[in-house]
Amino acid sequence: MMLPLFMFIPLLGAVLIAVLPARHSRLSVLFPLLSLLLVSTVMRRGGEWSLPWLPDAGIALRFELDGLSMLFVLLVALVTLVALVTSLLIGKTDRGYHALILVLQSALFGVFTARHFIPWFLCWELTLIPAYLLIRLWGGGGAPKAALRFFMMTLGGSAFMLVGFLALQLSVGTMDFDALGKLAANSEIAPALAKAFAFTGLSGHALLLIVALAVFLGLAVKIPVVPFHAWLPAAYAEAPTPVTMLLTGLLSKMGVYAMLRIFLPVFPEVLPPLAPLLSWLAVATVLLGALAALAQTDPKRMLAYSSVNHLGYCALAVAAVAASQADRTAMSSAISGTVLQAFNHGIIASALFFGIAVLEIRSRGQRGLNDFGGLRAQTPVFCGVFGIAVFASLGLPGLSGFVGEFLMFNGAFALTSAAAAVSVIGLLLTAVFLLRMMRKVFWGPLKPSLAKLPDLGKEERWVFGLLLLLIVLPGLWPQVLLGPANPAIIDLLDHLRPFP
Amino acid sequence: MTPAWTIPSAFAGALLVLLLPARMAMASRVVALVAAIVGALAAGVSCLARLRDPDAGIWSFNVPWVPEPGIRFHLAADGLALTLLFLTGITAIAGVLFSWNVEKRPRAFFAWFLTIIGGAYGVFLSRDAFLLFVFYEIVILPKYLLIAIWGSTNKEYGAMKLTMYSIGASALILLGIATAYAAAGGTSFDLMHLASANYSDGLQAWAFPVLFLGFAVLAGVWPLHTWAPTGHVAAPTAASMLLAGVVMKLGAYGALVVAMPLFEQGFEQWKPVIAGLAVTGILYGALTALTQKDLKFVIGYSSVSHMGFILLGLAVANHWGLRGAVMQMISHGIIAGLLFGIAGRVVYERTHTRDLMALKDFDLWKTLPGAALGFTLATAASMGLPGFSGFVAEISVIIGLWQKWPWLTALVALGIIVTGAFSLRALHRAFFPERSPSDAPPAKLPPLTWPEISAIVLLLAVSIAIGLYPKPWIALIDEALRSPLFQSFLTQP
Amino acid sequence: MNYQILLLQLLPEAVLVFTALVLLGVSVGVESKRSRPVTPRLTIGIATAGIVLAFVALLREPAQAGSGTPLVAMDLLARVGKGLALALGLLAVWLPPARGESRNVGEFHALMLFALAGLLLAAGTNHLLFLFVSLELASLSLYLLVGFPRTAKAAEASMKYFLFGAVSAAFMWFGLSLLYGFSQSAMLPVIGAKLGADPGSLLAMAGLLMFLAGIGFKLAAAPFHYWAPDVYQGGPATSVALVSAASKLVGIVVLVRVLSLGFQAAAGSADWGNMTAGWSLWLAVLAAVSMIFGNLLALAQTSMRRLLAYSAVANTGYLLTAVVANGSKSSGAALFHVVVYGLATLGALAVTAAVERERGDDRITSFAGLIHRSPFQAVCLLVFLASLAGIPPLAGFFGKFAIFSSVLAESTREGNPGLVWLVGLGAVLSAASLYYYLTVIKQAFVFQSGQSDSGRLPASHALCIGVAALALVLLGLCPTMISASIARAVGSLMP
Repeated sequence: MMLPLFMFIPLLGAVLIAVLPARHSRLSVLFPLLSLLLVSTVMRRGGEWSLPWLPDAGIALRFELDGLSMLFVLLVALVTLVALVTSLLIGKTDRGYHALILVLQSALFGVFTARHFIPWFLCWELTLIPAYLLIRLWGGGGAPKAALRFFMMTLGGSAFMLVGFLALQLSVGTMDFDALGKLAANSEIAPALAKAFAFTGLSGHALLLIVALAVFLGLAVKIPVVPFHAWLPAAYAEAPTPVTMLLTGLLSKMGVYAMLRIFLPVFPEVLPPLAPLLSWLAVATVLLGALAALAQTDPKRMLAYSSVNHLGYCALAVAAVAASQADRTAMSSAISGTVLQAFNHGIIASALFFGIAVLEIRSRGQRGLNDFGGLRAQTPVFCGVFGIAVFASLGLPGLSGFVGEFLMFNGAFALTSAAAAVSVIGLLLTAVFLLRMMRKVFWGPLKPSLAKLPDLGKEERWVFGLLLLLIVLPGLWPQVLLGPANPAIIDLLDHLRPFP
Repeated sequence: MTPAWTIPSAFAGALLVLLLPARMAMASRVVALVAAIVGALAAGVSCLARLRDPDAGIWSFNVPWVPEPGIRFHLAADGLALTLLFLTGITAIAGVLFSWNVEKRPRAFFAWFLTIIGGAYGVFLSRDAFLLFVFYEIVILPKYLLIAIWGSTNKEYGAMKLTMYSIGASALILLGIATAYAAAGGTSFDLMHLASANYSDGLQAWAFPVLFLGFAVLAGVWPLHTWAPTGHVAAPTAASMLLAGVVMKLGAYGALVVAMPLFEQGFEQWKPVIAGLAVTGILYGALTALTQKDLKFVIGYSSVSHMGFILLGLAVANHWGLRGAVMQMISHGIIAGLLFGIAGRVVYERTHTRDLMALKDFDLWKTLPGAALGFTLATAASMGLPGFSGFVAEISVIIGLWQKWPWLTALVALGIIVTGAFSLRALHRAFFPERSPSDAPPAKLPPLTWPEISAIVLLLAVSIAIGLYPKPWIALIDEALRSPLFQSFLTQP
Repeated sequence: MNYQILLLQLLPEAVLVFTALVLLGVSVGVESKRSRPVTPRLTIGIATAGIVLAFVALLREPAQAGSGTPLVAMDLLARVGKGLALALGLLAVWLPPARGESRNVGEFHALMLFALAGLLLAAGTNHLLFLFVSLELASLSLYLLVGFPRTAKAAEASMKYFLFGAVSAAFMWFGLSLLYGFSQSAMLPVIGAKLGADPGSLLAMAGLLMFLAGIGFKLAAAPFHYWAPDVYQGGPATSVALVSAASKLVGIVVLVRVLSLGFQAAAGSADWGNMTAGWSLWLAVLAAVSMIFGNLLALAQTSMRRLLAYSAVANTGYLLTAVVANGSKSSGAALFHVVVYGLATLGALAVTAAVERERGDDRITSFAGLIHRSPFQAVCLLVFLASLAGIPPLAGFFGKFAIFSSVLAESTREGNPGLVWLVGLGAVLSAASLYYYLTVIKQAFVFQSGQSDSGRLPASHALCIGVAALALVLLGLCPTMISASIARAVGSLMP
């Protein structure tokens, strides 16, 4: 019974915030805290909850919290908390804004715990509305266009995904992820598709390939994988910084999570033929993301492309797993890396965007890379903590970013060595543009206009402190994250036996 | 409370409102609201009772009315009737709330309004073809007057067109029912009796389309749908809500419980034609909505498109199709009511325009955030996103369609995509316009009133409740679909 | 011949005639004594008393059949027809003459009673000659009533009515003589027996055709309807009310009686694909033409009275449709509908008269804003027009539905399409008729009017409107109030 509460508490918060007078909007921070508390109570045992919905079509509102979900749920609560605090710090206190963030949180909980397509898709789509409104209504000058593009592209992807799953419902009669996984393991989906779509004259394998592509399309837009990333830079740049945190820290993880939870288990049969496509798309994502980041002068846009680049690694690892199911150790490494990367990137990106927010507060909205310079002396603490976040992002050993990327590349080299090798260029480029940002902002002569810039305030130190803890701890001790997720990863591995 | 409360509550409310002194406008609103709430409560409580004890006999009321031709006053409330009664009740409450500030002759307004509600209750409860037709016809004049007196935009034309379509369709229904009555021996109008009679193939081949078309016109079947957009646009808000929410459902309901059970062989013959018309309606309505400039026209054409799903579900006539059709009746009733309520009352009353370009100047999300939020959710519901009632309905119809004519699903899917496109276009242009900073700041608009907020919340809550937990509704509908009335044409998988 | 029994048989008519004489006497007396004309209130009171007394007389047990003169039929149909005609006549009497028409009001009401007496006699006879004479008694009174006001319009209307009526009488007379020549008798059962033995007789068919043409004039069936619009527009509302309600009712009673008793053998058939010559076919053509003409021409009217005239033509079409089916149920439906139709038209005329009192003309636009001027009249007008259009729960709906369903039930057997064509035409045109009724309703309810200066209606005028509206509502909710006795009455004639 805890699971509905997960979703209900933020929703209740949203209603309260929306109804209470505007001055109480800061109370919104309480709700992610409450969620964290709840998550910690079920940390060990997980949970399950199900409500029959259309029983004779096998549709149920089924939710389950296992180790994998747990990580993502934790991430949702943490990033939402940071985003809300950041919002208050930068003076965004509108009731609607806070309420929408809480709605988003609720929907994200649903996405990461739902085990049936219907409730999952419901929450998946539900994230769209608050995200759209948050960008649209509280974003910068170009927000309307950016928000619309974000909305339409994601929705377009979802439509394909919906059609894909409908095809499954109509042929095998269920959209439950676990049930589909079982059917897939027994190779029952392709024949059923062939039977149901006999009038198309296509073979079951080809049909399954089409369905898998449709589902992939929906997920690819969300991650995003090149060339479906067109919505991302504008949306990230135009959104208010806390919302950007949510977008990159959480919404992009929906795609990664779904890759692990849905795409791999449901379509194991067609993974090998899809693998080349997936891996080269992933390589393109890694490289284009990095190259584009190099060309940016707006740090928000730069970090946006950096996110594309980082999530490209996740896509690469998934593609590697898809390419060959022979080497179990390598697969385990790639999947564990993906999970870690998803969590860590969420935290690191939050820290980086929080840094941007700190800059924005001090510069009254200016945030071009060339507007700053020499801040190291003026704001040493800020420089230090931001530096740690940057190094975590480019994968310095000892910080969390390293572990995930190492594991992913470890697996990927074994499974698709060529793609992995090309992607390494991305790693180098990442270092280049991140360090360039550090140099432009913190080194060099201090710009006179920045002479009175204050260093971090108390609240800001607290936030950075929390985030740094979450960056350093898993870097030194990855088991703290991998431990709970391990059973789920092993399940997945068991599932992905090679198909003839 | 039994379903017996529904019809009298509406008619008694109408009478009471008329008897109030002319200056007591507030009292007339309250009476109308109370009457609507009593009806909705009765329907809701009966639904619950039915769910709790599905084995108990259904509520019925059966006395002779005009014995000589065999007309009985026969009402019965199976699950199908109950769900639709509930829809009517909810729409009635929301309609009264959205009409709270009607200043022009409020007594007459609410009296006619409640008369339509009462007629709708009657249709849903009737188990006698004649009685059903009587209630069906009662609705016509009040509809005309509501639109012609309290309407806007070309109201006399819209009202007249709507009324002539309705009465023309009624002539077909009359012909169909009278034919069935005559051919079944001329002794009884009871639906079961008429349905169990044997009609010759030749008779069914022409009598079915006549009867079905009569009902389908009111359900907005393409190409006889043109009354719907003009009528909806011309009507005052509450009447638009009723028209799209309830009256169009009367047509669909009539087709389901009268036309199809009576002439099942005729239905079998004409099925593909109906399905073709329905799919055409889905696509045509959606594409036309994509090009409209008036917000209410967008909603009006979207109704045509959504009603296509109902007709499609009926044409499919397997368990999924019928269930989906009924779910869509409820779902579209709620959602259309909500869309019309916000567009017609909340927005139009304040901005005096529904032109999508003109609304740009009001920057509605800033000036009326509540309405923008409500309309956004309603749009999401109308697009058939999961979590709202529309999804349950449409997916059921699609599953049914898949079992019957798989290749048609592609066209329907296209219709759904276009639906998404026009819904978002209208939402975006009307509520989230792109404005350059140089534009004049929008005029201040009065905030939402409590009746408006309650109506929006009520309708949204029902749609979401059904969307999140459709099981009880499905249980009610399934139980009703097991009635012998439907077995002759219900194709088993 | 036992004159005592004859008197008992004709007691209602006798009461009416006696009351008419009283009226004449009173008005002469009052005028000579007080040297000012008698008031409509007094004459309406006397006429009402007379009609009520006639009704009481009608309710008495009938004298045994066969003991009186064979001229007078004492069957149930006669009694029910007479009762209904009296009721409609009473409502017409209550409609007071307009302001300019109130001279010699005693004579006016006396003439109405004479006309009513004629109609009653016509409703209760099986003898064609007696029928003819009764109808002429009624018609002559009606000609005078239509032309009663000394205005050019009334005179023209009366003249037209008289000319058409005279021609129709000539037709009828000629037809009767042919029939008499054929059967050597004017008694319907005798003619029926003769015709049964010799069904194809050209002589009888020609006579019947002539007779039907005559009745067609009386009923204003197209194409014999040309007098109707002018009479409806030019005559006093009271006279028109009598013409449209009671007279049409008796016309249908006569038609049903004559055809069912005398001409069953010459019915022919109007069934689709199986048409054979006979009165069914002829009447079917009349019905179709009437429905089409009446409804289409009504669409174009700007005068309320002319609109009602064309609506009368259209309704004759529905009534004839029912007669065509030649069954007891459909004939019963026709009788029910003619009563309902009469009530509605009478009521609509009464409201029109009220509007004329205030606005001076009967243009449809003069009804604008009636709901503000007089909610009572407006709501009643809504009832009348909605009933005419066949909208439930008003009686008109039930009447039309009864006609259509019973015609189908009686004509379609074993997959035979029967009269579906005629019913379909009727149903569609009847739906179209809502359009022109709605134009009036729209004026009354939707539009605003300038001034609102309405003197109070005379009590009897309001009573006439109110009772007619109430009757329509009650008959709609509970049609058995009269439909049961009508069904028994018709059933006594046709099995």
